Amino acid sequence: MTESSDPARAAGPAAFIRSPLDAAAGLFLICLAAVVLHQIRGLDAGSLRSFGPAMLPRGLAVILGASGIALVLMSVFRRDGSVLERWSIRGPFFILGSVLAFAFTIRVFGLAVAGPLAMVVGAYADPDARLKETLIFSVVLTAVCVVLFRYVLGLSIPILKMP
Amino acid sequence: MDSIISNLALGFSTALTFQNLALCFVGCLIGTLIGVLPGVGPIATIAMLLPITFGLDPTGALIMLAGIYYGAQYGGSTTAILVNIPGEATSVVTVLDGHEMAKQGRAGAALGIAAIGSFIAGTVSTLVIAALGLPLTKLAQLFGPAEYFSLMIMGLVFAMVLARGSLLRAFAMIVLGLVLSTIGTDLETGEERLTFGIERLSDGLEFVVLAMGVFGFAEIIRNLENPEARDVVRGSIGPLLPTREEFRQSAMPIARGTFLGALLGILPGNGAVLGPFASYSVEKKLAKDPRRFGRGAIEGVAGPEAANNAGAQTAFIPLLTLGIPPNAVMALMVGAMTIHGIIPGPQVMTKAPSLFWGMVASMWIGNLMLLIINLPMVGLWVRLLKVPYRLLFPAILLFCCIGIYSINSSETDVIFTAVFGLFGYALLKFGFEPAPLLLGFVLGKLMEEKLRQALILSRGSFMTFVERPVSLGLLVVAAVLIVVALLPAIRKSRDEVFTE
Repeated sequence: MTESSDPARAAGPAAFIRSPLDAAAGLFLICLAAVVLHQIRGLDAGSLRSFGPAMLPRGLAVILGASGIALVLMSVFRRDGSVLERWSIRGPFFILGSVLAFAFTIRVFGLAVAGPLAMVVGAYADPDARLKETLIFSVVLTAVCVVLFRYVLGLSIPILKMP
Repeated sequence: MDSIISNLALGFSTALTFQNLALCFVGCLIGTLIGVLPGVGPIATIAMLLPITFGLDPTGALIMLAGIYYGAQYGGSTTAILVNIPGEATSVVTVLDGHEMAKQGRAGAALGIAAIGSFIAGTVSTLVIAALGLPLTKLAQLFGPAEYFSLMIMGLVFAMVLARGSLLRAFAMIVLGLVLSTIGTDLETGEERLTFGIERLSDGLEFVVLAMGVFGFAEIIRNLENPEARDVVRGSIGPLLPTREEFRQSAMPIARGTFLGALLGILPGNGAVLGPFASYSVEKKLAKDPRRFGRGAIEGVAGPEAANNAGAQTAFIPLLTLGIPPNAVMALMVGAMTIHGIIPGPQVMTKAPSLFWGMVASMWIGNLMLLIINLPMVGLWVRLLKVPYRLLFPAILLFCCIGIYSINSSETDVIFTAVFGLFGYALLKFGFEPAPLLLGFVLGKLMEEKLRQALILSRGSFMTFVERPVSLGLLVVAAVLIVVALLPAIRKSRDEVFTE
């Protein structure tokens, strides 16, 4: 999975960063801290005796940002740097697409449609997906789920709806 | 002593009703079934199966959940032995000698000794829980907000020191978990914090949503990225019952493993993960011929498996007596208890003694069931292991979606889970371990509450945490732990333990 070039030989403006993984992780934390601080900018922090709603989130966000800065600094001084792994697009796209497909169809069409849809979309996260096999399996499994969740366990999950 | 016996009698009379026995059985069975599947650890298993318990009364639901928990633990060990994949952190050690035994045609003996060792460890730790439950509950009632806060600080420090990877990263994950726990309506002023204007977030973030996203979905994406060569044992499994000689070799390792595991499991902050590692290195040191280890030594399976199970069970002690979950799985149990209207803590034992003791008794019954049902079913597990991941993961996806949706009948929750799946994937890619995040998230709300209470009582003075002796003691332990973990020598051996 390490398709990026060797950090020691990396040229360009970021050559002084020995560990791109730590640098990226640190920047990620700093961004998260910034989002939190931005979100609670209008809230009152209060005093130690009576905490305001913003006291803890603000304090924690500052600590989070500080750990991010520490990680970035470490990335410059570390001797044993690690490279950033390549991010795959296929996996997250189809897996999360499948979950979202389920979320958007369960109320409208019911489990009979949402179940197979989620499974078929999800199956494409694997490059070796086989449509026919997945389709048959998804229909069978959805039927099992309908019986199990609706009739055996009595959960109120919509089965089939015609919009 | 008398009270322990009468309490256990109450427990067994609750657990031995037909309904509860059946629930315990079903829980153990499904827990094992899902736990056997590689790539599905106990956290995802419990989160996925949570909706199954919705229609039950609280006692039955908790008995079943506990069954699912042991079942998943047990299934993880089966996979570790039969396939070269540790189902979770605690069965990493079992892979070393267990799979080696399986390759030599002694898979049956490895599975058998793992089951027997786990059962013995389970029996002892049930007694430990029964013995420690009452005194610890009494102790907990003496705790004020300051002591609770310091105890949770100590728990988080433990979690940080025991996490894999760098201390700074584990620390950052705990802080991030704490930040996520502040999402929602402020306890006192009622103002909304960090809700991004989304109405569904004003009650705070649902724990299962976070856990399922970060552990369930992110794990699936990661598994697809690095397809593992599954090395399922072919050929004969061999006799399930270990020979007399193997029993003799395993007896002391099981005893030592049980002791170590039970002791470490009580520690807040996921001490249970240390049990199997500790047991393995102790056995290797004590062995006459340490070179046998890693080449199919039965002691290397018996000891760690006993330690694993003992720790898994005594991890309930901080949860049931103090209301503080020591690890991510126990954090999920808190979520499950809350759904059934039970707030974990010292009051459970006094207000609902039959629930508390029924659960303790069912732990022992569950262990017995696992011993009886699992060994004859090994053939089924082997066949299950041959199901390709290509078919497995869409099924897991569907179960996860149904599970999350049915908690609140809310499709918004399902969407949030997808978002946290992406978030969890990003964390993994940046090299963060998500387990401390979950613990920080669960303890966060309670910590904020106790911190505010303590500061109100002390009129805003932080000195209260060091002026009260118990609180000071807990903080000193936490400080010592951090210092020790930062010492270069310890740091080096800590790295070795987690990479071995």
